[in-house]
Amino acid sequence: MSEAIDMQEQHELDTSWMEKMGEWGAKATPGKRGLTLDDIKVGSYGDLPKNSDNMTGRPRGATARPDAYRVGAYSVHTLSEIWLENAEFLYEEALQRQWSSATDVPWHTLKPLPDAVEEAECLLCTFFNEVEFVAGDVPARWIAKTTPDYLEARNVLSAQVMDEARHMDVFRKRALANGGGLMRMSGATSGFVGSIDLARDFTEMSTRLHISGEGAVLTMFRMGELFGQNDAEKTMYRLCAQDEARHVAFGVMHLRFMGATAPERCEEIECYLDEAEDQLLAGQQNPAGTQSETSEALAILLGGGVEQYDEGHRKLLVIRRRQLKEYMKRVISAGFSTRFENGRSPIPAAYASTN
Amino acid sequence: MSENEPSKDSETAKPIQGVPNPTYEWMGLTNEWGIRVKPGEHGLRLGDVNVGIYGEVPERWEDQTRRPRGALPRPGIPPLPYSLRSKHEMWADCAANLYEEAIQRRWIPATEVPWDLLAELPEDVERSVCQICTELSQCANTELEIITYWQDQMSYGYFEVKQYLATATFDCARHLEVLRKRALSNGGGLGLESRGRVNRMILESSGGWTEAVVYLYLLRGTYLTRLLAGLLEYAHNDAESYIYSHMLEDHARHLTYGYDHLKYAATHHKGGAAIMRTLLAIGEGMFAAEIEDPIVKSAMAIIFGGGIEGGRTFGMERYLLLIREFLQDYLELCSWLGVDREETLHPKLKQYLEI
Repeated sequence: MSEAIDMQEQHELDTSWMEKMGEWGAKATPGKRGLTLDDIKVGSYGDLPKNSDNMTGRPRGATARPDAYRVGAYSVHTLSEIWLENAEFLYEEALQRQWSSATDVPWHTLKPLPDAVEEAECLLCTFFNEVEFVAGDVPARWIAKTTPDYLEARNVLSAQVMDEARHMDVFRKRALANGGGLMRMSGATSGFVGSIDLARDFTEMSTRLHISGEGAVLTMFRMGELFGQNDAEKTMYRLCAQDEARHVAFGVMHLRFMGATAPERCEEIECYLDEAEDQLLAGQQNPAGTQSETSEALAILLGGGVEQYDEGHRKLLVIRRRQLKEYMKRVISAGFSTRFENGRSPIPAAYASTN
Repeated sequence: MSENEPSKDSETAKPIQGVPNPTYEWMGLTNEWGIRVKPGEHGLRLGDVNVGIYGEVPERWEDQTRRPRGALPRPGIPPLPYSLRSKHEMWADCAANLYEEAIQRRWIPATEVPWDLLAELPEDVERSVCQICTELSQCANTELEIITYWQDQMSYGYFEVKQYLATATFDCARHLEVLRKRALSNGGGLGLESRGRVNRMILESSGGWTEAVVYLYLLRGTYLTRLLAGLLEYAHNDAESYIYSHMLEDHARHLTYGYDHLKYAATHHKGGAAIMRTLLAIGEGMFAAEIEDPIVKSAMAIIFGGGIEGGRTFGMERYLLLIREFLQDYLELCSWLGVDREETLHPKLKQYLEI
């Protein structure tokens, strides 16, 4: 038998699979924002299963194969556990708004600062360097646990992992670029019960990470114009705020979806919010919190030096007040407003006391 | 003297309602001060700030907290479950540069792929392209899931690798997105799912990240490079060219990390090369079985041959050439890594070298 014939027999073309493909004739067309994830939710490809039985990692809408291996031990396989209505939008926005800490921050505008101010900035950068990757590590872990049927939500989390890597990187760069250095770690993000890390349920994790933790940090980043000492720092905080806003939006929209589709879990979520609010007011996870040493650093930065500490404190109180106000808005938007009306939450009273 | 000047004695400090008097206990707490890294012609890159103690990468990182490398530890912080704490388990010297490169080379499928240039294809060809998109989606999904499974188990002492892997996570999400968009925008649809032999092998690499890298990049990744290069060569329009060329670019970074890490592990971990040899002996058998599956083989042959008829002759020959080229690459890489496979290559794979 010649080699050519041998090859032909061993590697004969098989086209039987063509009859077993998924729904045919999908022709998504680009809109004014290009061809988005939302645009390709056409026909059955847009159908989201309430409970996913996908254990093989196949893309949603592909034909299942009876002899495929069950490689996906997906613990998150119910829509209400992870879904949000605007996942496609958040993911596409994340792609459009990526930035580079190497080249998009005007590092040349850094100028030597008084020692105490540089130390304050470096303490804050050490804190952010430490906490930003909680927000990267933890979503990463949940991606691997989530069925690929919820591709859109997983892709938003993937974008968050990228964003947080960049945040960690930009704060490290800042600490090492202006005559300072890293300082003592805060330890605020370590493993204790009720921490973002150890949550064994996605919504619990998201409540702590996206709504409480990142919400508080977002307010701070937005105030970066006030405590940034130069254009490099102001740019850094502004760009980080842009990313952080997407992460917070994920949490709010997910909580809203979960509350609407799994109301039996609302009381449990209220308990997570109880714990998160304690942390927001007094815990070390909030860099502007009453018990965190970064508050002192912030007061120095806000005042412009230790001599203006009082003035800095007054501005810090404005940040705290704004944190509380924005937190309440997010929780209300997520559909959990009752806690602010029935006395369960300490936040309204704390907010009132900042007047 | 200002009442708020740094002082351990804050008795004279003016009390501010709701805010403890400053202690400034955090001031001066640093391992190394006075770091002033300047941006170079490519901006301020991650590797640039590896100066002084901040650039010292230890062989073993015992700290199980999120202490940034170089920051001062804080006693009493509960540990987190980081299982990878030795340099040889994840390190690659190129990680910091790859991280910055990934950011500079980001791309946006929604708006940068010229979707309007997709043109109708003969149905057999469209079905083949869609089937390959389905298969590649599952490869990207496997890569995403295995990276995110290991990512949060990697210690902070090696944050450059974690940061680089964050970019790879995002790349995988983008590949999932763009392949789905291609399959659903030209009158086609998704295909039949993969049986998933190699996916399973990669996902079941739970002994360590290095073991996963052996399968993910050395075996599967080297093959995918040839596959993507083949698709690029036979792309039907500029939209497909854009997709495959950018996927190849991303993939090249992933392989650079993978090969570099395996080289590091093989040379810095006693017995590492022997373990790789054992893994490859098993993996080659699984891989050989996977490429015997007629679906990918036939779909690629049809793409290369411009249709079913061409697929039976030239197309299949071209695909078999692709496999031979992959095996040549693979054997060269194994030899470079010091895990020579030429003599012991799985017999079923050897056949492809003899065609």
